[in-house]
Amino acid sequence: MEVEGRDMASIRGDTDEPRKFDLPVDSEHKATEFRVLSTAAPHMRAFHLSWVSFFSCFVSTFAAPPLLPIIRDNLNLTATDIGNAGIASVSGAVFARIAMGTTCDLFGPRLASASLILITAPAVYFTSIASSPISFLLLRFCTGFSIATFVSTQFWMSSMFSGPVVGTANGVAGGWGNLGGGATQLIMPLVFGVIRDIGAIKFTAWRIAFFIPALFQTLAAFAVLIFGQDLPDGNFSGLQNSGDKQKDEFSRVFYHGATNYRGWILALTYGYCFGVELTVDNIIAEYFYDRFNLELHTAGMIAASFGLANIVSRPAGGMISDITAKRFGMRGRLWALWVMQTLGGVFCVILGQVGSLTASIIVMIIFSMFVQAACGLTFGVVPFVSRRSLGVISGMTGGGGNVGAVLTQLIFFKGSKYSKETGITLMGVMIICCTLPIMLIYFPQWGGMFCGPSKNITTEEDYYLSEWNSKEKQKGFHQSSLKFADNSRSERGRSRVNTTTIPPNQV
Amino acid sequence: MAARGLLLASIYLSLLVHECYGVTLFSSLQKTLQVTTTTKRGQVLKAGEDKLTITWGLNQSLAAGTDSAYKTMKLQLCFAPVSQKDRAWRKTEDHLNKDKTCSFKIVEKPYNKSLQTLDWIIESDVPTATYFVRAYALNAERHEVAYGQSTNDQKTTNLFDIQAITGRHASLDIASVCFSVFSVVALFGFFFHEKRKARMSPQK
Repeated sequence: MEVEGRDMASIRGDTDEPRKFDLPVDSEHKATEFRVLSTAAPHMRAFHLSWVSFFSCFVSTFAAPPLLPIIRDNLNLTATDIGNAGIASVSGAVFARIAMGTTCDLFGPRLASASLILITAPAVYFTSIASSPISFLLLRFCTGFSIATFVSTQFWMSSMFSGPVVGTANGVAGGWGNLGGGATQLIMPLVFGVIRDIGAIKFTAWRIAFFIPALFQTLAAFAVLIFGQDLPDGNFSGLQNSGDKQKDEFSRVFYHGATNYRGWILALTYGYCFGVELTVDNIIAEYFYDRFNLELHTAGMIAASFGLANIVSRPAGGMISDITAKRFGMRGRLWALWVMQTLGGVFCVILGQVGSLTASIIVMIIFSMFVQAACGLTFGVVPFVSRRSLGVISGMTGGGGNVGAVLTQLIFFKGSKYSKETGITLMGVMIICCTLPIMLIYFPQWGGMFCGPSKNITTEEDYYLSEWNSKEKQKGFHQSSLKFADNSRSERGRSRVNTTTIPPNQV
Repeated sequence: MAARGLLLASIYLSLLVHECYGVTLFSSLQKTLQVTTTTKRGQVLKAGEDKLTITWGLNQSLAAGTDSAYKTMKLQLCFAPVSQKDRAWRKTEDHLNKDKTCSFKIVEKPYNKSLQTLDWIIESDVPTATYFVRAYALNAERHEVAYGQSTNDQKTTNLFDIQAITGRHASLDIASVCFSVFSVVALFGFFFHEKRKARMSPQK
């Protein structure tokens, strides 16, 4: 299904001039190659816009933790205030991610993400004028909404890149965005230091420093609006006007997403890879500072390295997903996800048990690689769960990640019930338990971890077209799902793709 | 009397020489200094503006020679227990290396036998909290050998409050509001522009 560069005449027959893409594309014009160093429109340009804007949101959301030693003195915060603000910063995005998914399905990722980024930018600007623990908590809560742009990132990549490379594209975009959480631990103290050296006093310097992530966020959103494009063929609004894309109905989109049990399982398991990552971002600097009596900036650098591992680990997860899919199809993706995430849980348990600084750092880095790779692997599976409600499924999974972060912090890291090391060990046990449900995911056309594809010959068309009723099919609304089903045949794995005949298109 | 004082001092000196590489424990320090602050009960001092008057020196009623090891005097601003509650970064530890009670240095001077007075303008990075003042006497190796504080051992009397500066400026307030309004207005500007473009493009 690969088309080299030139556009095939559209199925409708009423296309405009043939479009030439810089990358090889499939019948939906999604790129079948991922060239990270290219900025070719529309595919790679969308990639760079999405990861940079998502990165800026992560920088803003986690801009406060590295400056807390100054902020807590200025605003007279207690440890409880700081803990609550940390939980607030990740809880806003729970529902924002689900809402974002639906918005992407209806309005397109470009408008959805840029709107959210520009609406949350004021929260970052206003952090400069925070004056009390309550205002600090509210501002961190509102800023945290911006990391719902994760969903638009994944949606956009799933719309621009075809099956064989979608895991890689999702993994790199997600990973390089998550990098912001680590980069901010280095950027903010640096910016603060420069401003203070210019002459500002401490309690003013941190306030001025917050303008940097805020401006970055604003400019990133402008770039998305000016240079971005929803789909390879154009924007949602343009395509809807020209009749090439149907404007879908919210209730149907939401219904098909919410009733797909695979979305719920992935939401749970994502809570125990990405949710764990967010929790660790919030607690790890303090853990090293307290347990090993390090200097704050040393603890901060170790904390940063956890987040910075995202530059390779999450993309690696996406690539592993795509590589196993080439040979084993969707079953390979599911097995790889289960193995990597369970190993992440094992290393988490070990992290809580080791007592020496060097061993802790090494185990933490191995743990970060497995947990972040599991995040990448999850979004190698998500694009295939639903075509019509891709946004809702992405949103549910993403939201589940944040729920995991809130729950884990509440159960293990609030107050003094457990020491941090016990909390980390118990978190590892919970990861292993909450990863088991992956065994329950089953695609009738491809199989699951333990079962092969259904005995009654089920095809990709049967699965994806079941999301449309006969009235909608009569109006031809399901055409993009049809194309997607055709393109997703690679998920059968090498052995079945070559031997089975491709069934005729069902309308 | 003098001999006993000398004996005590030399015992402490030798103990401290032994602990040269180790940690000095607060509980091992002798309370030979006296510190008083001229603050009224319930008075709130403003950081960056108000003055704190501190009088300190050796407790005159002690034997001569007690202070033979004292080379430097260090005055520090320390958190009262109420300001340490739920704030592990201000915790009191017996090991002076790990003790976070006294985070702000007021002044450090060579040791002087007589009572000294200082008018200290409270620095602008002092946070809002309840405080007392403590003086440490350091020996030639810069280890603490003695102390005194402006409050009792339970740290309940003669505490004073300091109100921090906000760090906010009118220019920051205005800039925040302007940039925020600009972001939201720009978003609606884009929407409006998109809608106009869509309406003007030919419909099929």
